[in-house]
Amino acid sequence: MARREYKPVARVSEAVPGGTPVEHTPPPDDLGYDLIPKSRYTSEDYMRLEWERLWTKVWLLAGFAQDLEEPGDYICTEIGRESVIVVRQDDGGVKAFFNVCMHRGNRVVAEGIDNAETFKCSYHGWEYGRDGRFVNLPNGELFPQGKPCRGLVELPCAEWNSLVFFSLDKDVMSFEDYIADIAGHFEPYKFDRMVITRDATAEWACNWKASVDAFNETYHVAATHPQLLWYLNEMDVQIDCYERHSRYLVPFGVTSPRIQRAPEIPPPLKFMMTEAGLDPASYEGPVDGIRDIVQKHIRATAEAEGRDYSALNDDQLTDDYNYLVFPNLTFNTHADHLMLFRHRPHPTDPNRMFFDAWTIEYIVDEEALPTRRPRHKIIKDGDRSMGMVIDQDGGNLPKVQAGMNSAAYQGLWLGDLEVRIRHFHKVMDDYLAD
Amino acid sequence: MDLGLRDKRAIITGATKGIGRQILELLIAEGCNVATCSRSIEAVEACIEKASTRKAQVFGDVCDIRDQEEYAAWIDKMVEQMDGVDIFIPNVSAGGGMDSEKNWWKNFEADVLGTVRGVEAVIPHMKENGGGAITMIGTTASLETFAGPQAYNALKASLYTYSKQLGQFHGADGIRCNIVSPGPIEFPGGSWDMIRDTIPKFYEKTLRDHPTGRLGKPQEVAKAVVFLSSPAASWCNGSNLVVDGGFTKGVHF
Repeated sequence: MARREYKPVARVSEAVPGGTPVEHTPPPDDLGYDLIPKSRYTSEDYMRLEWERLWTKVWLLAGFAQDLEEPGDYICTEIGRESVIVVRQDDGGVKAFFNVCMHRGNRVVAEGIDNAETFKCSYHGWEYGRDGRFVNLPNGELFPQGKPCRGLVELPCAEWNSLVFFSLDKDVMSFEDYIADIAGHFEPYKFDRMVITRDATAEWACNWKASVDAFNETYHVAATHPQLLWYLNEMDVQIDCYERHSRYLVPFGVTSPRIQRAPEIPPPLKFMMTEAGLDPASYEGPVDGIRDIVQKHIRATAEAEGRDYSALNDDQLTDDYNYLVFPNLTFNTHADHLMLFRHRPHPTDPNRMFFDAWTIEYIVDEEALPTRRPRHKIIKDGDRSMGMVIDQDGGNLPKVQAGMNSAAYQGLWLGDLEVRIRHFHKVMDDYLAD
Repeated sequence: MDLGLRDKRAIITGATKGIGRQILELLIAEGCNVATCSRSIEAVEACIEKASTRKAQVFGDVCDIRDQEEYAAWIDKMVEQMDGVDIFIPNVSAGGGMDSEKNWWKNFEADVLGTVRGVEAVIPHMKENGGGAITMIGTTASLETFAGPQAYNALKASLYTYSKQLGQFHGADGIRCNIVSPGPIEFPGGSWDMIRDTIPKFYEKTLRDHPTGRLGKPQEVAKAVVFLSSPAASWCNGSNLVVDGGFTKGVHF
């Protein structure tokens, strides 16, 4: 593609007090330009290695703390071949357990969100408390050898920014160490004041990393999401790589340098202005001035509207601060909402995966609050829309996976706008190394 | 067929880009001198430099046609520079939009008053000349329901009545007045280019509704405008020429 001259998007130069750090942390300069072998996406051997050295060693997301308000509220979530229960304790803490009855191996609860006094196995009625300990073992006299253990097998668990994490590794490093270099990044958004407005899972015919990749670079925007060229600058992104996590900061409220000239205010920018309380028809300035006036207007009106954006910088009022929390979480953080994607591997097939999408929103108008939590939607083969952008990505991925399996294809040939993918594979290498 | 445009003098508002630019270039190619304006002096200067040929000259100056005095002064200046005016094409539009009452004011100011004030300014000169041609830019969105109820569709509609009556009223002075109704026109940097990307379902439906499966090109509108503006169309007065590739379904009895 021919390079075009364009004016860089103005960015805030320093964080507000207590705000999200904004300094540029460039990728390590030894990432190189080697091809990333396709076997990482297609081979069962590599998948097995991932299970042994990655999934069973890292911290993983269980769900949102707002689904664990009362003692006994639990989330049962699956990762690969394992199922995990995360449950609110009577003392307000949270514990995680393998979802396995220690008697004959039955799953104790089904995947989903619910509340339980105790966890009772449906097979023979072995019953465990919220703390995982045995409560009742029917006809205990039939087991002269005693109980197999003290109850459900417990796992490390942590709460962070209203999100609940667990690890399948009882010896995992502390969660604080795991996220140390992005500690403080999300706090200013105050996820605790946002409510869940979407909860959906799609099964996609691709490797989980292909899905991670789709949200780790903006190079695909022009061909896959042409509508976004009229709404954001996909070429002028600040890419920051940390020890295992990474992010890019994508300016919204501008047009792409690939757009020579917008004939009028593009519809998505009109929508952004209207949402902010500005009248696009009254705006006489240039299209590339819209991001700035939207930021200023939101800043000026927030307090009167009861919105507290004091810990966010001006860019965060429009832009997408997009994080990969290793290995499988994509955070699209915005002042008034978070779109969180979780990319989960299929238990057995490297060519399949589960894509979980949640949206949580900061809604100050009591009347606009959803009356109840949305039900978890399951989407198969794109039979329901997840929104235009995700549908466009989800439309690509099965074809990408099919092509990766071709004899012609050797691996990923990555450019500079795709450096987060390269960094991600470097971190994968570190985990998968002997 | 000779259009008879050689050495004629045309004024077209806002023709540094888009469909207007195509009209301007086509007039120049026919040997007609053309004066235009833009809110950006750089755009005017670039147009004068790029579009002028040995056969015909582009004139121009910066002008916001929404400012009555500025607009009148610009027309006077262009008439003076070209030593008269034979053709007037009010081309500036505020475009579509249904998100604010402000759109009604904007379309009234740019599409309606931008036409009316220009017409009133050029007619004395045309009378002096012994005649002239005015070609307005309408839209098929006024002829049939399209997109959504909005100021652009409704206020452009007023130009049809106005242009018809002008043709009758000034016919005796040798001044013809016609209107062209373009359907959806697509070109890089145009509205339909943006709609294709940002509202793809609407774009695809519009495309399917075209018998040829494509949208119009600026050149195709420009040719119709240039013809109606030329002496070759001497017997066309008060007509509405629909240029939409067969998109609209209404029958023109």
